[in-house]
Amino acid sequence: MSLFSTWKDLRQRGVMGINQRNADYVLRYNQRHLYPLVDDKIKTKERAIKAGIHVPTMYGIIDSDKGIGKLKDIVKGHSDFVIKPAQGAGGDGILVIADQFEGYYRTTSGRLLSTEDIEFHISGILSGIYSLGGHRDRALIEYRVIPDPIFSAISYEGVPDIRIIVLKGYPLLAMLRLPTRQSGGKANLHQGAIGVGVDLATGITLDGTWLNKLINKHPDTTNPVRGVQLPYWDGFMSLATRCYELTGLGYLGVDMVLDKDQGPLMLELNARPGLNIQIANDAGLAARCKQVEDEIDRLNAKGITTANPTKRMAFCQREFAQPLQNLGALNSDNETFAAPTEANSDVTATNQQP
Amino acid sequence: MKGVKLHVRVLALALLLIGAGSTAWQIFVLNIPVSADTTEPVWVIDTKLTFSARDNTPVKVQMYVPPSWSKFITLNESFISKNYGVNTDAVDDNRQAVWSARRAEGQQQLFYRLMLTKRSNSRFSESEPGPLFKESPKLEGVEKVAVEALLKPIREHSADIETFIREAIKLINEPSNDNARLLLGNNYTQDNKSMVLELLLSSAHIPVERVRTLRLISGVAQSPELWMRSYNGKRWLYFNPETGTQGLPDDRVVWWTGNDSIAKVEGGRHLKVEITANQKVMNSITLAQSIAERKENKFWALSLYDLPLQSQQTFEIILMIPIGVMLILLLRNVVGLETLGTFTPVLIGLAFRETQVVWGIILFTLITALGLSIRSYLEHLHLQLLSRLSVVLTFVVIIMALISVLGHRLGLDRGLSIALFPMVILTMSIERMSIVWEERGGLHAGKVGIGTLIAATLSHLMMTYPAWTYFVFTFPGMLLIFMAFMLILGHYRGYRLTELFRFNAMIKGRQ
Repeated sequence: MSLFSTWKDLRQRGVMGINQRNADYVLRYNQRHLYPLVDDKIKTKERAIKAGIHVPTMYGIIDSDKGIGKLKDIVKGHSDFVIKPAQGAGGDGILVIADQFEGYYRTTSGRLLSTEDIEFHISGILSGIYSLGGHRDRALIEYRVIPDPIFSAISYEGVPDIRIIVLKGYPLLAMLRLPTRQSGGKANLHQGAIGVGVDLATGITLDGTWLNKLINKHPDTTNPVRGVQLPYWDGFMSLATRCYELTGLGYLGVDMVLDKDQGPLMLELNARPGLNIQIANDAGLAARCKQVEDEIDRLNAKGITTANPTKRMAFCQREFAQPLQNLGALNSDNETFAAPTEANSDVTATNQQP
Repeated sequence: MKGVKLHVRVLALALLLIGAGSTAWQIFVLNIPVSADTTEPVWVIDTKLTFSARDNTPVKVQMYVPPSWSKFITLNESFISKNYGVNTDAVDDNRQAVWSARRAEGQQQLFYRLMLTKRSNSRFSESEPGPLFKESPKLEGVEKVAVEALLKPIREHSADIETFIREAIKLINEPSNDNARLLLGNNYTQDNKSMVLELLLSSAHIPVERVRTLRLISGVAQSPELWMRSYNGKRWLYFNPETGTQGLPDDRVVWWTGNDSIAKVEGGRHLKVEITANQKVMNSITLAQSIAERKENKFWALSLYDLPLQSQQTFEIILMIPIGVMLILLLRNVVGLETLGTFTPVLIGLAFRETQVVWGIILFTLITALGLSIRSYLEHLHLQLLSRLSVVLTFVVIIMALISVLGHRLGLDRGLSIALFPMVILTMSIERMSIVWEERGGLHAGKVGIGTLIAATLSHLMMTYPAWTYFVFTFPGMLLIFMAFMLILGHYRGYRLTELFRFNAMIKGRQ
């Protein structure tokens, strides 16, 4: 197939490219002064707690080399915990301690680390090797999420998480990210985790993507990934929906986990969520964005500038439902709202520019 | 949103127009050559004056030199002499050079060298000065009768000044005409013929004057050729006094007008004037520069060429960086190539200037590989970021020194050029690459490394392509055109080439 026809088909399906995401969504809906809120996990956490959104409990913060010694006090009474760079990107620099043994720390993969190793890791975090701009950072020590056993059949080590992309408070696409052996227990797609699409209406999983390929089985467990009902689905949806009010960012990726004991927890927010979620759901983001922008315009015309979260969620669950049994038929439905993008830019042109 | 888009488009269009306009102006109006290889013929005319000076008397030599109003541009003019003062004066429509010395002994030699090139654009030629008024001579006796007898058939056979003069020339050159013979008085030299012609025509109230020209042919020594010219109210008409042909051929340079000989000497004897012309080929841009120098500030458009040579060389490199940057922009946003850092490939590409591509790639790979290995060793030592970076940088410097020394010993001078690799950039590349390696795996790190090298090589090739270097340096308006292009790319929303493969599964699954 020629590249040109690939281009045309992708456009027709409303698949969003990086350039389009950056220019039409990230730059337009996300004001720069709001970035620190999502780039710094500590700030996100504080804000979320205030808004009553559940997050993993924070044990402590280390913000200076002197403070590294305090680690022992911070994790006292917790045999397992997670160390994260506050401004890390893409899951880099996250250290998950599952157990402590004779003064050593055991990671989830079974590696034993001495206190020195951990302190070196934290000092690396502080000096900014994992932060986006390379500037000094803080280390965050928090509760280690124990994944709900519902995922054990389709997951390999690590904690599966759920990402929902939200445009102006409208959830567009959802994806369950499952760690694999290759990803080393991390739930990041570029590290080799699988992304599995989730039906927004029901919370039942669809097919998945792994290394840009379409798959329907987990490569490590060989169990089919489709057809799994995620518990508390409406809870996840409403949590993601409310993150718009929480941050003010119009285009957002909300990462959540399902803890065995604490239920849905919000992990972090991402102002530039990746695009492979489209492959996982076999649906184009630009097409859905267009539909939501049309709805916002329609409401604006009626004088409603702020739709309430419940209504937004209901709209998306109605419009973007992908019932499992009709997957084939639904795809043809998709085509009907995959409007050509030229029209897209004209409609969006009336909106404000950051 | 629409407003901003329009804004960018208008801005880009404005930059494009200004850039293209200034480039077009330089090319079409100022005639600056498009390519560095364009050459144009230049004439070098050497005049040698020799004479023997009388002892203990002041010496003054006067010589006519070509005026500035001809259809040729004077590129360079030099007067070479020993112990003589030189001045140029305007005498009527002519220019005259005057050499003078308090005393001189023995054989003397004076040189005058003139470099000319044809005006490529006639609009720039200064207009020739009009005629000077001269009184017609009073004739008496036989001469008067002869003149009138000659004028009668000329009047009958002519329609205007031009034909009148041609007819007169024809009659004077006719050996059988008694009246002409009488006027010439058995002296059939060119000079005499033209004097008679002048006499004849001024009696008919048509002023003519003698003009000496030089023929532009290479090699042979020549003396100025005599032509006649007359002003018809608008422009000068040139006539060959022997054949009556009208119009000065393109290869003639007007040297001086009037009846005097080319040079005269006071306080000397045996004056001899030798004139030779030679054609040379000159690089067009050098030519444009020489013209610019003579026209002085009119030619600001070539201002980069006015810089000292060393700064020029620096700017030749600096002005090419936007091309490299533009390439990176294309590779990253349109193709989707992953590179280490944003403009790192451009800087590495710049280093390739000195090392050449193949050696550059080998050296870069070698240093990065060694740097990565020491970086992974340092990992175990639990050093802080800054001191680790410092150690890696020092290590890089040591490797560079070693490669230079080793290369020198082995007679590989390319090894020496490594000193020009940007150390800090190398160090940061090593650090970034090792983080990519740790977090995304060796495969991804290799991909990014190769992407960087590809981008560096391409940008190096684009930045050193001589025709472009010349073009951008000579027509800096190109930079505005690049800027317009970059602005437009800033609103590019299409897929990146790699994305077509990335999302290919979404299309394939459908069929």
